[in-house]
Order: sequence, then C-alpha cells, then structure tokens
Amino acid sequence: MDQKEVRQFIIDAFEENYELMRMEGGHAITGEAKQKALEQVLLYWEKLHELAERVTDTEILLTLPEQRTPAGRKYTIQGVVDIVEENGETVMYDVKTHDCDTVAGNPELYEVQLNIYAYIWQTLRRQSLDGAGIIATGQTEALKEAFRSNQEEKIIQAVEEWDPVITIPLDPDRVEATICRFGEVVDRIEDCKFHPPDWTKLKEPVTARKTLPFATHVCRNCDVRFSCRSYRTYAQNQTGKSGLKMEKFLDDYGNDEEQQEWMDGNLESDLDGLE
Amino acid sequence: MNLDTMFAQSGFTPNPQQERAIKHLSNPLFLIAGPGSGKTRVLLWRTVNLLVFQKIDPKRIFLSTFTEKAAKQLRDGLETILGQVTNQTGRRFNLSKMYIGTVHSLCQRMLGDRRFVPDRSRQQIPSLLDELDQYFLLHHYRFWEEFLSEIGMEREQFLEEQKDFFKNGSRSRHQATVSMISLFNRWSEENLPVEELRKFSSCDAFLDKLVTIYQLYLQKLRGGKHRQADFSLLQQEALQMLMNNDRVIHEFEHIIIDEYQDTNAIQEKIFFRLAEGHKNICVVGDDDQALYRFRGATVENFVQFPQRCQEYLQVKPTEIKLSVNYRSRKKIVDFYTAFMEQEDWGREDGKGFYRLADKGIRANSIDTRASVIASTNTDNESIAEEIALLVKKLLDEKKVADPNQIAFLFSSLKARPVVLMKRALEKMGLNVYAPRATRFFELEEPIAVMGLFLSIFGKPQDNGYAGDYQRFQEWMELCLKRAEELMKEDQHLARYISKKRMEVEQTAKDYQLLTGKVEEEGWDLQGPYDPDIHKQILKDTEGISKEAKKGLGSYVLDRIAKRKLEENEPFTLHYIVNRVSSLDWSVLDCFYRLCRFKYFQQMFELAENGTDEGPIWNLSQMTKYLARYMEQNQVVISGRLLVENRFVQSFFMGFVYSLYRLGETELENGDNPFPKGRIPFLTIHQSKGLEFPVVILGSLNSKRRTQRVEEIVRPMLNRNSEPLEKVPDFDMMRMYYVALSRAENLLVIANARGRGISTFKPFKEMLDKKTLRIPDFDLATLPAVIMKQDVLPRIYSYTSDFLLYQKCPRQYMVFRKYGFVPSRSQTMFFGTLVHKTIEDLHNRLISLKREVKL
Repeated sequence: MDQKEVRQFIIDAFEENYELMRMEGGHAITGEAKQKALEQVLLYWEKLHELAERVTDTEILLTLPEQRTPAGRKYTIQGVVDIVEENGETVMYDVKTHDCDTVAGNPELYEVQLNIYAYIWQTLRRQSLDGAGIIATGQTEALKEAFRSNQEEKIIQAVEEWDPVITIPLDPDRVEATICRFGEVVDRIEDCKFHPPDWTKLKEPVTARKTLPFATHVCRNCDVRFSCRSYRTYAQNQTGKSGLKMEKFLDDYGNDEEQQEWMDGNLESDLDGLE
Repeated sequence: MNLDTMFAQSGFTPNPQQERAIKHLSNPLFLIAGPGSGKTRVLLWRTVNLLVFQKIDPKRIFLSTFTEKAAKQLRDGLETILGQVTNQTGRRFNLSKMYIGTVHSLCQRMLGDRRFVPDRSRQQIPSLLDELDQYFLLHHYRFWEEFLSEIGMEREQFLEEQKDFFKNGSRSRHQATVSMISLFNRWSEENLPVEELRKFSSCDAFLDKLVTIYQLYLQKLRGGKHRQADFSLLQQEALQMLMNNDRVIHEFEHIIIDEYQDTNAIQEKIFFRLAEGHKNICVVGDDDQALYRFRGATVENFVQFPQRCQEYLQVKPTEIKLSVNYRSRKKIVDFYTAFMEQEDWGREDGKGFYRLADKGIRANSIDTRASVIASTNTDNESIAEEIALLVKKLLDEKKVADPNQIAFLFSSLKARPVVLMKRALEKMGLNVYAPRATRFFELEEPIAVMGLFLSIFGKPQDNGYAGDYQRFQEWMELCLKRAEELMKEDQHLARYISKKRMEVEQTAKDYQLLTGKVEEEGWDLQGPYDPDIHKQILKDTEGISKEAKKGLGSYVLDRIAKRKLEENEPFTLHYIVNRVSSLDWSVLDCFYRLCRFKYFQQMFELAENGTDEGPIWNLSQMTKYLARYMEQNQVVISGRLLVENRFVQSFFMGFVYSLYRLGETELENGDNPFPKGRIPFLTIHQSKGLEFPVVILGSLNSKRRTQRVEEIVRPMLNRNSEPLEKVPDFDMMRMYYVALSRAENLLVIANARGRGISTFKPFKEMLDKKTLRIPDFDLATLPAVIMKQDVLPRIYSYTSDFLLYQKCPRQYMVFRKYGFVPSRSQTMFFGTLVHKTIEDLHNRLISLKREVKL
C-alpha cells in the first residue's frame, strides 16, 4: 500500500467504526470531535509508521480473572496491548489517546498499568517480555498550536519534536498493591461513590512539560465543571477574595482560537440552501 | 483441562438438560428454555465448549442476542472464562472477530465485511437511520410534498383516507406518519418487494398509493450520496448480499440465536442462509414469552422450527427442554404454569397446538409457603393504598435491600391505575422511577430545561390549531411557568437567563445591522470577504454589540479569511456577517451551564452520593436529544436563524414538538438497569429478561388491540400463522405470562373490581375466594433478599474504568456511567474510535506482511 492508499484505508476504517459504534452504543460525539479523532489516527500514521509496521500482534486482550474486591465482589481486570516482536525481543505497547505530556506527568499510573499487564503476560502466560512503552497519540499543546498556525514549517517542526513513545520500566513489585487499589475502586463504583477530587487537588500540576494544573488540563475540558463543587471552589479561590464573577465563569467557551475553530467546524456554510 | 473441571472451577453444576445442551454441538438444536431456567449460562458454556474444546475459530461463530446489553453480558462472561483458559494454557482467543450482537448490528457488520463480498473488496456500509431519524425523514413536509404530488392527492384528502385505511382515528400528519412507518417496516421485514406488493394493491387504490410512497422512501434512502438504511432495510440489504454469494453459507460453522421467539421473517431467512453449509443452528427461546408481534416478530419461527429446519436444511433438530426454574419460589411457578393452561391453544383441525405443549416447567425451589398474593377485591384507589402500605412494610422490614428490587409491571403505563399507584407511593414518601409512564417531556427535569430555553429564545407563536398542537402549546406555557418559579427561587439563575435572552436579541440585531451596512455600502452579500477592505467598515457599524466587534476583530478569523482568499475559496460577506453575529454557544453548551444552578446541581449531587439516580438519567437523556437536534439541524445558532425565526421554529415546533408527540424515550439503561432509591414502574415489555425479588402486577385489564398492520399484511403472506381472531388473546396470555414469571420471592396481583374495570378472563378464573389476600399475608414468612452473585462477574478495564475513575470519579459517573453526550469535551467514545481504527490499521499491515512472506 502506498501512502495514499493507507490514508484512504484509515479514513474508510474510521467511518465504518464510527457507524458501528454509533449503532452498538448510541451516538456520542459531535462532528467536530469526530474530525479530531480522525486527525489523531492520521497523525499517528504519519509520525509512527515505522513502529506501526513492526507491530506483530494488535489489541491483545489481557485478563486477570477471579479477583475479589474488599467487599467481596467478584470481578475481572482487563487490558489491551500491542506487541512488537523483533530480533528475538518482545516489547509491549499501550496506545493511549491522551498526549505524551499528560503521560509523562503521571508516570506512576502508567508504570503500574503496564506492570500489571506484564505480570499477566509473563507470570500467567509464561511468555517473555523485554520492554514496555506507551504510545500517546493525543495532540500536545505544542502540536495544537502549530496546527492552528497553519504554517507548514511550524507544523513540520512540531511533528518532528513530538515524541509520543514513552518507555516504561518494568518492576513487578508494585503489582499487588495496585490490584488491591483496583478492587477498592470497583467497590466505590458499584456503591455509587462519585465525588469529585477535593478542590485543592485541582491546583496541582498534572502535565510534564507545561505545568498545567488539573483544573486546566482536566476540568477545563469537562462540560460538567460548572455544576461541580470542587471546580467552583477552585475558581472562586483563583480570583482572590471578591470571588470569580459568575458570568465570566459560565461564559468560558475556551480561548479565541478554540472558539474560532468551533465556529469553523460548526457554522452553517450553505446559507441559501437551508430550509 | 476439560469442561467438567472448568464447571467445578466456576462453581457451576449444570442439570442434565443443561449439560446436554452445552455438549450438543452438531446439527440443529432446538432449545426450549422456560423462565429462569439458566439459559444465559447454557449459551455461555456452550460457546466456551465450541471455542476451547472444539477449537472453533471465534470468527466462525455467529451469536445473535435480543439487545446490545445481552450481547455485552455474554461477551464479558466469555472473556472472563477464556481469560482463565489463556492463563492456564497459553492459548489465546480473539473475540473481536466473533460475530456477537443484535441481528441489526451483525447485519451491518456483515455488510462491511469482505468475507461476504464475492470479490472480497471493501464495501461501504449503509449508515443507519434509527427510529427517530426515520420518523423525522418521513414526517418532513418536503417528503410529504413530494409524495403527494407523486400520488396526485391533496394533503387533506390523503389524511382523511389514511384515517379510514389505518383505522388510527386521526387526521394528523404525525399519526399518518407513525402508521406508515409501521406498515413500511413490516413490508421490509417480510421482504416483500414493490413489484410483489403491486399484485395485492391493484384492487385497492389507497393501498396502491401507499406502495408508491414506500417506493419513494426506498429511493430516497438508496439514492443519496451516502446510502442509508433503517433497521428493517438493513436486514434486507444483508439478506440480498447473502443470497448473491454462495460462499457465505460456509462462513460460519455455528449460528446461535437467542430469544428466537421474537425474530421476524427476514431474520429467519438470514439465519437459515448462513446455516446452509454447516447446518449447525442453535435456537433458544420460549414461545410463551413472545412479545414483539407488533414489531413484526412471528412466534411461528420458533413453534414451527422443526418443520422449518426440514424445509431449509433437510434435517430434524434435536430438541432439549430447559424446564427447571431457578428464579422463583414454588408457588409462583405453579401459578404461572397453571395460568398458561387457561387458554385453549389447540388448532381448529385438532392437529396439534399453536403453542409448544408439555414443557414440564417446574420449580427448583421447595419453599411451598405462600408467594402469590392478591389485593383485596375492591376499587383501584383503595388497592393503590393497600399495596403502597405493603411496599412500605417490605422496605421497613428490610425484606428487600433497595426500592429498585420491587417492580411494578403494567401492560401500558398510560392507564389510570398507574397514576393512582404512583400517587399512593409518593404519599408514603417513596420515589418512583417510571421512564415510560409519562412522556419524557412531561417529566420534571425536561420541563424545567425547556422552560428555561423558552425563556431565553421566546415561545413560538400560537396559531390556534386544536388537538396535539394545542396541548403542546399548553405544555410550553407550563414549562414557562415552571421556569418562572425556578427563577424566582434563584436570583442567579434569573440573572443568567436574562443575560442569555439579551444575547439572543442582540445577536439578531447585529445580523440585521450588519446586513444593512453591507447594503448601504453597495456591497454584494454573496461577494468575497476581504478583511483589508471590509473589516473596519463593518466594525464601525453603529449599534452592533461588542461581541460582534470582537468577532470581526479576531486575528484568528483574519488569518483564516486571508487563507481562504489565497486559496481562491473566499468567505462570502454573508458568511462573515452571519459568523460574527452568531451566539458563541450551542443549546448543549447552554444546558451544561444551566446545570450550575441549584435546582439542577442538586440532581448531580444525589447521583454522586448514590442516593437517587432518577433525575440524572433524565438529564442524560436530555443531552442525547439536544445532541441529536444539533446533528440533524445545526450546532451554531446564528443571527440569521434568529432573525428569520428559523431556530425557534425548527427547535421547538419541529424537533421538540415531534418528540413530545411521539412520547418516546429511547431509554435502554447501561449496566445498572434501574436507578437506586426508586421503585421502577415498567411496561411488561420492558421487563423482558429481567427478574425482581418482588413483582407487583398493577392491572389485569383485557384491552384487545386490533393489529391493523397484521390485517393488511396477512393476505400478502403465504404462511401457516395463528388465526387473526385468536391473536389478541394469545398475545395477552404471553404478555401476562412474562409478567408473572419475573418474580423471585413475592408476586402481588392488583385485583381490582368495579365499574369500568375489565379483567382478563383467565385471571377471573384463577383469583377466587381461596386466593390469599394482602391483609392476610404474614410478612414473616417472606425470606429476605440474598444478594445474588452475578452469574457473570463484571469486567473492569484498567484504562476506561480504573484510570478514568482515578482521574475524576465525577467525570467517570457523568460520561461513562450515565452516558451524557459531551458538548466540547472528549470522552470514551472518542478514545475507542481512535483505538479501533488504529487496530484496523495494524491488522491490515500485519496481513500485508504475511502476504509478502507468502
């Protein structure tokens, strides 16, 4: 397949997946988000086609059955990985749709994850493993900026500098504690405990390169932040004693660029054909 | 490792019939599974047997379920068991290649799968028109104009004639559309081509016109730039594809169909076609639980399965009955078994029955204490109070763990006893969850949201029509009144709404002022926009808002506009004027901001605590409707749409009005079927496949529905069917059978008597002086609910459950659990879509590499 064919393959597969998912789980994203998702796959191919071509096994389902939560519920842990086997070496990859800065900002979360997967792979299935990594396909702030500028050289440079593959060290000692924590989370989900994190956590940085706090990185990208106590407390505390004016708080639709992008994608263009 | 050791590991001891079914793998299998007989487990283990011990490739199994939820349960169960096998033996199973899902999703999948295409080329799959999409298409006035001119009829005349033809009692475009949809779908499901229909319509002028409209509809779906199909036509397309290629008969080694009694004619053809090669078709079902005739299902598919097997495959199926009931206490099983015997199921010619007789249903339970009780024989009001009191006691004495373990079942939720019962419970301080009891838009939350929207955008004018139109106008008034109250209670909300209202007004004004300016300058509205020439002059337009000024002044916009100029595809002035005089928020954005105010916020908090999930489900549904509106119409509310009143018309009078009249919610909850803290009120149809510790059958009425579509279609079919005059009674028997067999510990029957109350005859026979009545029932004899371990343990994903929850439990709840459609944030759907596509890409690359090696 030449580049053009691969591109077309991606577009077709993407459309088909979208239709099937819509049918299986009901429709769930706006047209704009759909476009972004496609761009992410295309960019993955552009940047990482060498790695993609080396993948020997894709979307391998790893399960850890027969687990019990502290409250006694039976459950199964599940994860999915891609495997690259080359020259007698086996490396495990997990594809993530968030950006590499976020991953690098919380390395321990992902380290533990891949270590559990590695445990299932090595200990339960007795297969060899030489390394593990995360492929973070999400666009970093730097990439987004470059694309918005629409200047070719900037984009090329940003894509060049973008490093979406993060190596994860393997350390089997941490598996047990994480599985225990996993069980607690299952209990909390089943018991319907869904309180947001305390507002002070919202101040803490979560990304590696640009030190974005949780509130910006997670909450600003969350439509239900307005009805969230923690986010409101955070917002009020950000603006000093007078408190954030409610209007400003509610009229946050992102910055000018995001807003123009939204308009671009969504405003009716056919002004005369509309009924 | 063998099956028996695996059973032991999983703590499962199958009974002899179950074991036989699990181990019977070749040739057709006719599995008659009574209520609560462990059918899901059998299906699960039978599939495990195929995959693990018969080494069948997952992609060679076709397993169809009735709902997506059932498919997910089975898939989760398989993954858990197979995960154990992999961990013990190292053998891997790729279930993503297995065909498991509803018939519709499997049809869609086959249509896009190269395996089924003669030259293995990639196919474009039709995009799906769901029930609401189909309604909006057929209800659209443009479609009406088109077909009226095609059949040469005036609208009024058509409405008059359709009323007589369909006997639907209405001359409205809405009702006509609903009737046409049900007929068209039936035609598609019976696989009747237009030419065939013409043979029957030649002697009925109006029927002939309907065939023409159907033809037009088909052309519309198939002729567009992207092929579309509704649920019924999707199956037709799949069947056509299968019939055109003989290789398909070998593609699946095993065809397994659950809930076979509710399949339709075209589905039967699809299944037998797929089974032609290997003849391994296993159907599972219970004719006594057939519920979906009104959607074209034919219970005969199941009852006559042995004969059909002979016809299609020339083999006789093996018949296995799963007759031990593990769900209900003994008296409950005895009651519904006896109930079924009340009807005469014999054929007129004396040769056999319309029902599979001799099922030998019996209870596993040996608890012979009373478990079926009836209310006092009195009026509906008193009964409601008597039952509410009983429910209160059940809760107080902890006979159930949560109100959602007590289900009220009704044949229709629009009846009076429903209202009375709900009121009586609420008087006791008990909350009810009744997703279909009232129209969605008559629920508290949508009324509040719509009232606030109406306050912002203004109510559409009342043109004084009668009927539904008038009721809808009244409903809008009610919404506005509610919004007034809310704003009175919350000053912040009042201020916010008034600000939004002003933005709407200003936006419309901006659009008028700016188009005026263009005209004044003598520019062509359709001409190209060049920021260097037009920007400043437009910005100086007197009276425009600072938002419009800011919009015009945006450097980002300049950059895009300049690029467009260079690319020789400039924005028109009209586009720019419209763009800068557009609201910077959509209806969905607005909705999420309204949630900030106390009234809505507390609903989120109730869910965060796990106290009450009712309101949050309704809010979630609201986001789905708003997103659908945006998808069908437009996202951005532009000045032009506001000035020309198009937004208000299309949103309120087009979209909301239609939903209001359809009275539908599309609710099929995810994992947790019914909100905690609330007593579910369900239609018997909704209760299909479910079980509850306590079931209250809320009315025993015997309203016969004449099935008009059935009458119209019958002559066109050459089939050995149940006689039309018997159908209403048969269907009612099956419906009540389903209701009675949902109960585990206690079945309570509301046995009203009095003027205007009709009781279905078999109940009259069965409920008599010997029946134990509520006041005489000793609650102490009722065992408390034991928390049952799910047969299938739940699967939790590291990334989409654990990590997501760790990030923010609240976000997890809103988007993952309750399925809110986000407006601007990215979610799970996004991630899965990217993942699946990358997986496809990898697979393609891997198979290319293999080809090169070969």
